[in-house]
Amino acid sequence: MSKASVFYDKFERHSHAEGLKGHATHYCPGCGHGLAHKFLAEAIDELGIQDRTVAISPVGCSVFLYYYFDVGNSQAAHGRASVVALGHKFANPDSVVISYQGDGDLASIGLAETIATAQLGAPITVIFINNAIYGMTGGQMAPTTLMGQTSSTSPSGRNQYNGQPMKMAELIAGLDGPIYVERVALYDAKQRIKAKKAIQKALKLQVEGRGYSFIEVLAECPTHLKMTPEENEKWVKECMEPVYPLGVKKDVTVDPWFKRNPPSFQGEKILSLAGATYEHPVRNCQGFPTQLALNDISLKLAGSGGDGAQTAAMLIARAAINEGFDATHIPSYGPESRGGTSYADIHVAEEEVLNPGSPDPQVLIAFNAPSLAKFGPTVRKGGYVIYDSSVVTEPPVLDPSIKLFPVPFTGIATDLGKAVVKNIVALGALQAATGIFPKETFLTAIRVALKDKCALIPLNEEAFAWGIKSVEAIRG
Amino acid sequence: MALKERPKPFLLPEYCKGCGRCLDACAKDCITLSDQINPLTGLMPVELDLTNCNACGLCMDACPEPYGLRPAHEGEVQDFELEDPAKLFGVKPSEAIEPFDIPCEVLSLPRTEPLVIKGTYASALGALLAGCRHVYGYPITPSTEGAELMAKFLPKLDGTFIQAVSEVAAVNMMYGTAGAGLPTMTFTSSPGFSLMLEGVSYMIGAELPGVFVDVMRGGPGLGNIAPEQSDIKLACHGLGHGNTQAITLAPSTPQEMLDLTILAFELSFKYRNPVVILGDGYLGQMTGKVQLPETMTKPGIPKWAVYGDAMHRKNLITSIFLTETDLEAHNVHLNAKYAAMQVEARSESYLCEDAEVVLIACNTPARTAKGAVQELRQQGIKAGLFRPITLWPFPVEDLKEAIRGAERIVVVEASAGQLEDELHLALSKAGVRQFPELESVRRMGGILPQQNEIMAQVLGKKEVRA
Repeated sequence: MSKASVFYDKFERHSHAEGLKGHATHYCPGCGHGLAHKFLAEAIDELGIQDRTVAISPVGCSVFLYYYFDVGNSQAAHGRASVVALGHKFANPDSVVISYQGDGDLASIGLAETIATAQLGAPITVIFINNAIYGMTGGQMAPTTLMGQTSSTSPSGRNQYNGQPMKMAELIAGLDGPIYVERVALYDAKQRIKAKKAIQKALKLQVEGRGYSFIEVLAECPTHLKMTPEENEKWVKECMEPVYPLGVKKDVTVDPWFKRNPPSFQGEKILSLAGATYEHPVRNCQGFPTQLALNDISLKLAGSGGDGAQTAAMLIARAAINEGFDATHIPSYGPESRGGTSYADIHVAEEEVLNPGSPDPQVLIAFNAPSLAKFGPTVRKGGYVIYDSSVVTEPPVLDPSIKLFPVPFTGIATDLGKAVVKNIVALGALQAATGIFPKETFLTAIRVALKDKCALIPLNEEAFAWGIKSVEAIRG
Repeated sequence: MALKERPKPFLLPEYCKGCGRCLDACAKDCITLSDQINPLTGLMPVELDLTNCNACGLCMDACPEPYGLRPAHEGEVQDFELEDPAKLFGVKPSEAIEPFDIPCEVLSLPRTEPLVIKGTYASALGALLAGCRHVYGYPITPSTEGAELMAKFLPKLDGTFIQAVSEVAAVNMMYGTAGAGLPTMTFTSSPGFSLMLEGVSYMIGAELPGVFVDVMRGGPGLGNIAPEQSDIKLACHGLGHGNTQAITLAPSTPQEMLDLTILAFELSFKYRNPVVILGDGYLGQMTGKVQLPETMTKPGIPKWAVYGDAMHRKNLITSIFLTETDLEAHNVHLNAKYAAMQVEARSESYLCEDAEVVLIACNTPARTAKGAVQELRQQGIKAGLFRPITLWPFPVEDLKEAIRGAERIVVVEASAGQLEDELHLALSKAGVRQFPELESVRRMGGILPQQNEIMAQVLGKKEVRA
């Protein structure tokens, strides 16, 4: 075989190609990397994909893969080559991306990335060089070191306290993501032919957009296994192979599926996704509702998850901004996904909200007794407390200057047939009790929020009206 | 059947490491190990005697060296006398043209009504308008809404959102996409940002752009999900190992979450360096008024991007420089870049011209401090607010101007003095030795300083003085 043209004509990146380094690899005599490189280069050559290939160099001896391969080259952090490969693949879906990794990189520090990438199944090709030892750092135990095998960090031989060797090909083949997994070796001419074929097939599956493939190569590291190259070949065959059986571990036929359109840069599309509108909403306010505060109104809505406090808060903020004011809404939740506490701090300011938190609100809407008990005493003198009298039977004693509005949010909403509109009942009550904004301002915000669920608008309007009526009834 | 004659092997002894893999590949025993040390390599290359060679080629297949055993061509004979192997094959200069920039396009957008959205949403929209179509992330409160919005929108724009197995994976996906020269970002929060720092260091080393939105929450450890400003130190002085720096932006409103995200992409590509946006938990979760810009960006491809075509194959994304002098030169280059970034310092000074009391705050506490300035002014106290918008580089020239007439400086922050440390460092580096002793209003654990606490600090001291 002649030198594959995928290898540089001169290894400029290898110590600036000084002397012999211009044409010699940095690998030790008998190292498996050289052959794996050669088979990979030949496969790229034969498939005619050099112009599309991006190789990810790992950390380990093959950190300098990019010295030799005349393809797009990116060098990754230890263990992260497979996810860097994904980043390239999704940036440039036409590229053929190869993640070339050793055992420490792939099977130890990068295990999470390795497995997650395999399971993701996007068409990249992973070449895994397993030589049962750490090469670059100088002969420490690898995740693939055999039981009983000595290394500088298992000096009396790997034992149970060091755990068992990782059988990556079997592990990867056990996942649903990959389509082709094979373990090959380099120790004789027959194995080398198989290895080359496997690498070529793995690349071809990627070129065809079929899926993720994984080739584990049992390789020699004579230097750190302390053997001659010949002894090492024999050791791979006699000692490694029984633990790591060669052969195809997974090969499923999958139709090409990886087809990505170029990303869209249509502005209108983004604006539409963002829900942007082009027309000024009608303003109903004559001015800032100074009956509540000079230029900044602080509200708190408190209940439990599912009460709709956050939605109501959003509607108040939306209504305020439609009127040309500034508004903020900060949600806070308990740790529970459902049924926990759910509070909303809202500010409406004439010009700019400066204190978005509401530790001492002017208006409190409480959806349950604990919320009322917790926040009722924080309401400022002369403020408003509106609460769900369907669930709060014994309200706490609050400052006499505070105006109390017991409104049966839940009762009304249930009578209307949908308990979830109790927050809209509350908004109606807020409008009637405080006059913060005209009715129409709230109704516009509600209609806009429900523009994709138009059928629900009449029900919400009715709930809002009932909230108003209840407050009017209290006032007599 | 006429067979094309197969070539016999040829070997330059200097390129043979004497591993002997070719020995058992040869059925004719043409190859033997030698005990002669090659003076150029110090290794013992194999010896070839091709008398019995049938040109099967298996020895060449077995040779691990690209320039090792290769087919003998005309003129290449076995008794070849080597003069200088490094010059033998010469350099085939790539015939490809030098890589060039494909510039970004700025596209106009119609004017729209203000949106009412969360800070994280605003940031996500900013990223989309800045041309970002590749977002990688791992859900973490209180930043998750950004990722959720991207997961919803990007497929509709033929973009990519991948929920990574961890923050470590997310940042390295960014590394890959950034290596292809495309804008990419992530949303995270303090513990997640800690995990990403390895990748940030690699991105800085490999000179890759990328935007990190860190919606800071209470720490250390798992802490809580309420707002803190606890990652200022991390962003300004702790971006992983090595000599790392990145422009760090501190928005204070949902509007700035959008504006500064757009700016972050621009700066990130301008300097080929990550940019960090530090928000606080309130900013991430807070809904507010956000006006969209009237332009958007369609990204180009920078000349340094890695692709497989001949032109871009000249590029390399890496952070390894094995030769000490190479790495030192790289660091000198990076540091020159950090020096150039100083011009990006940004700040806002509010009523500082005549201020005797200058409050210093960023993020949401800056809003609160602004409220305090207004209240103090109503009480006849000449107060002002200095708000750094970039925390690194710290806008020290603006600060010097803002505190020119200050009798008191009060640093308002939701951390144990991380902002104050930046102030001290910036003033010290700028050679400012004379300034009022720094006072502080600090809350931690997820509680932001309140206006009444700032008032108490400012007024309390006044009373003591009187």
